[in-house]
Amino acid sequence: MMRARIMIAAAVAAAVTTTPVWAQDTLEAKLAALDKRITRLEDANQIEKVQRAYGYFVDKAQWTQLSELFTDDATLEIGGRGVFVGKPRVLEYMHKAFGPDGIKEGLIINHMQFQPIADVDPDGLHAKQRMRAFVMSNGGWGLPLYENEYRKENGVWKISKLRGPFTMYTSWEGWAKNAVPNTRPESFAPPPDRAPTVVYLTYPSYYIVPFHYPNPVTGKPFKPLMSEAGAYPAPPPPEAK
Amino acid sequence: MIGTKAIIALALAGIALPVQAQGTADIQAKIAQYRHRIELLKDQDAIENLQAAYGYYFDKALWGEVADLFTASGTFEYGQRGVYVGKAHIRRALTLFGPEGPQAGRLNNHMQLQAIITVAPDGRTAKARWRGMVQKAQPNENGQWGEGTYENEYVKEGGVWKISKLHFYVTGFTDYDRGWTKSAIPMVGQSAVLPPDRPPTEIYRAYPGVYIPPFDYVHPVTGKPIPVQEPADSVLGRK
Repeated sequence: MMRARIMIAAAVAAAVTTTPVWAQDTLEAKLAALDKRITRLEDANQIEKVQRAYGYFVDKAQWTQLSELFTDDATLEIGGRGVFVGKPRVLEYMHKAFGPDGIKEGLIINHMQFQPIADVDPDGLHAKQRMRAFVMSNGGWGLPLYENEYRKENGVWKISKLRGPFTMYTSWEGWAKNAVPNTRPESFAPPPDRAPTVVYLTYPSYYIVPFHYPNPVTGKPFKPLMSEAGAYPAPPPPEAK
Repeated sequence: MIGTKAIIALALAGIALPVQAQGTADIQAKIAQYRHRIELLKDQDAIENLQAAYGYYFDKALWGEVADLFTASGTFEYGQRGVYVGKAHIRRALTLFGPEGPQAGRLNNHMQLQAIITVAPDGRTAKARWRGMVQKAQPNENGQWGEGTYENEYVKEGGVWKISKLHFYVTGFTDYDRGWTKSAIPMVGQSAVLPPDRPPTEIYRAYPGVYIPPFDYVHPVTGKPIPVQEPADSVLGRK
């Protein structure tokens, strides 16, 4: 992914360096365009890093550090718990749900961040990223799927919207024998600021988290058959594709 | 990869502009700066591939290939096994993980995931944190899951990135069937047969012990170093 982006930047660099002297204005414009494209590569890398850093903070229950990754007006929605608004609420959510900062003896809460698809908006100030979280914990395995948004403030990328619906949670017995139901707004303290944006069931049911990007080959967006308000109670018919 | 390199080489080779118009110096400066930024992106890419290659060789116990990824004075430290210095010692130390080459009934997967790579501004050195997920098996033993954190360092020598320091902090190992609530497999200590060159740099326990490997990178938003308060450990007596 990154290599493809480098090739684009390199190709632009090649175009710039073959421009003759008389095309000074054009050269300036091309240089500016080149700067922009290199910046996009750096942006996409940084957004991946921010989300990976989020995962490493969860591993060790570094909730205060984690909350610093968010914008002041950020929203957080995890599983079926509803929406929490603002950086202080992000920290409150983590402290009430998981306890104070610092990993405790006998606890394992690995929040592994894999498979990013990061896309920076043309304005260079907003971005979206899909990333899989693979949870390895005392309780068993878990699979949240993030579709997050990021904002660049004073040159620094921050999480502006974290949304992590659950795909599947299971005990160590494994998903063939055990499936933990989705969380709900009342599952544990604190209560959310807003109701869940979508109500859905986790494995063995399923819900397709909307893709922020179109199909990278056809360029066409994937449109689920059902409205976003509903989870899929059963497999969609073939024409849904 | 070769295609990419060729394109980049072409782009960079043509960069000395035969321009004598006003603002030439400014343009040259900009191009030099852009060239450097592209170089840093390439460096990050190369390091990502280097560490991924380490994992793929390790999976199949190709110890010679693994050792060749290190600098001449490179160090290798895995859990509490101690520090091995230099390619020859590293290669011998790796035989503690099993004989050279893949073996029937043996699984040694060391997945290299979740990289946060920070290349130094001069492009000569780099540091990275990685997640290591481990799947182990050997004949007559049950399979194991393992997990840990790498905090590694890299050096660019003659245009080639190499591992100058590899440090894998083991979080824990558990029996495949029993899981964390029923099984916690302790780390292996220093070998008496192939002793390390130096003792472990940090003393900690694997799960159920807890330890926070220091973060090599600054906080991506605040830009400040990430303070680490090591958690209490009843066995080590850390409060």
